[in-house]
Amino acid sequence: MKVRSYGVVMALIAIAAALAAPLVADPFWMTLITQIYIYGLLALSVDLLLGHAGLYSLCQASFFAVAAYTTAILQVRYGYPTIVAAPAGLIAGTLLAVLYGSAVRTRGVYFILITIALGYIIWGAVYRWASFTGGDNGITNVPPPSVAGFSIASQTAYYYFVLTVVILCAFGYRILIRSPFGLSLRGIKGSESRMQSLGYRTTMHLYAAFVISGLIASLAGVLYVYYNRFINPVAASFQISVEVSLMAIVGGSGTIVGPFIGAGVFLGLRNWVSSFFELHTAVMGAVFIATVLWAPSGIVGLVERWRPGIGKPKDQP
Amino acid sequence: MHSGILQAINGVSFAALLFLLASGFTLSFGLMRVVNMAHGAYYLFGGYIGLSITRYTGSFALGVLGGGLAVIPLGYLIDRFLIRRTGENHLAQVLLTVGIAFVLGDVALKIWGGDSLKVPTPIELRGAIELPGGIIYPAYRFVLIVFSVFVGLSLWLLYRKTQIGAVVRAGVDDREIVSAIGINIDRLFVLVSALASFLAGMAGVVGGAFLTLYPGAEWEILVYALVVVIFGGLGSLEGAMIGALIVGLLDAYGRWLLPEFSYFVLFGPMAVLLLFRPRGIFGREG
Repeated sequence: MKVRSYGVVMALIAIAAALAAPLVADPFWMTLITQIYIYGLLALSVDLLLGHAGLYSLCQASFFAVAAYTTAILQVRYGYPTIVAAPAGLIAGTLLAVLYGSAVRTRGVYFILITIALGYIIWGAVYRWASFTGGDNGITNVPPPSVAGFSIASQTAYYYFVLTVVILCAFGYRILIRSPFGLSLRGIKGSESRMQSLGYRTTMHLYAAFVISGLIASLAGVLYVYYNRFINPVAASFQISVEVSLMAIVGGSGTIVGPFIGAGVFLGLRNWVSSFFELHTAVMGAVFIATVLWAPSGIVGLVERWRPGIGKPKDQP
Repeated sequence: MHSGILQAINGVSFAALLFLLASGFTLSFGLMRVVNMAHGAYYLFGGYIGLSITRYTGSFALGVLGGGLAVIPLGYLIDRFLIRRTGENHLAQVLLTVGIAFVLGDVALKIWGGDSLKVPTPIELRGAIELPGGIIYPAYRFVLIVFSVFVGLSLWLLYRKTQIGAVVRAGVDDREIVSAIGINIDRLFVLVSALASFLAGMAGVVGGAFLTLYPGAEWEILVYALVVVIFGGLGSLEGAMIGALIVGLLDAYGRWLLPEFSYFVLFGPMAVLLLFRPRGIFGREG
């Protein structure tokens, strides 16, 4: 009971702080925080597979980029309104996940390698198919989203919009992972053969999780393109897929706040380090190494371990 | 017709390079169950060091040898003190080695700068060879093919016909039994990982002479190597040979016939193959 109320209080404090942020933060911080929400959402999509289903997907940037590109191309080149372009982006990214979902036929290291290769298809497509995607330059001048005459043009308005979407997603995600479906995913992560002998169609469960993960990543992609107002092949790169999975792990895999905390730490650290140290990619690499070796359960795991007064520390696998 | 043959030679010579890189990757996975995403960074580092050696001494052969040798201690330290600690957790290995690759890539950028650099080749290899039928082709790439066939043959003989190879193959099949019958498996690991590092570093110098070296090259070449081992099957030397040929040819013809979709030409067949044979052509269940 105590643990539960602790969690609720923390969630309420976090939401209150997020709501109040625009009152105190300057544009630099607002940009960074919005970015943290969007990447946090992408990291959450990684963690549905990683933290619950035990699958490590390295092609999440593909869904993100396909959704973002679809929305951008429809809006900029064909002049469709947001009400068409944004859902189309979501659908395109999710359809790609439906297609790529065949990767769940494999497990373990094969799954990792295959998703890397699948991710490169999209990167190659957006990079080389220049006549359609704009190649290296990408798609620029994406207008602010507007629905039925209302335009979400100001930075603060868009901040609140992203925050609302993220909170709704977090609630939906919470329901999902606490459902029997979420339980069976964790059952598969624990022991797939056991779940199979209990009569579960494990591959179908993993496939469904993969598609839902693709949907969340696509949502992040649509939010990203309206936030950034342009999109280029970097969004589809392997590096993005790796970075968001690191965010999920740094924050705490298997939790909801973890990926967002991880996104905050990662983006905050990168911004800070790159302002005074030339080798900032090396520093990020060192963070990878340190996390894997010393904090595999992430920041949430560290906090759980040191939080006083609440029973025994739980071992997060 | 001419350009068709030309593309075939292009593909085979690229395959020759890919084999050098993928063979080490696949062997170290086969024996140690290590997925080393820093393999591309070894390639880049070896290439840069070889470049510096070639510039300093003026000898391309020394550069190739030195580039390969220089990566061995680096690979050993990374293997011994970092990768070994992750045990059999592939997820941790992938993240860890990607982190290592980021560090190495950034250090290389700091040392050798961001421009694309070409390893200077000796004068004798700079010309072109005229083939029967009037096809003119750079001599360097022919030498690369011959070199790679030589390396591949030596590896194959080492792997299939010598006692060390027999022990390594036994280790791939069952590590515990091999160490139980009194073979020092640790020494074997060091040997194979040194060989893998050497091959990657050497590939960097050889590849740097026609693909050039630049920041980000490590990831581009690594993805090709991954596709090679996915096609051929992880842990299989023969698979790496066949896989390299398939990837090299698909890539060459893809770039030629469908330049905007060359990645589809490469990855599309891979995806289809995986649907029917998730472990590649030579991969085994396990």
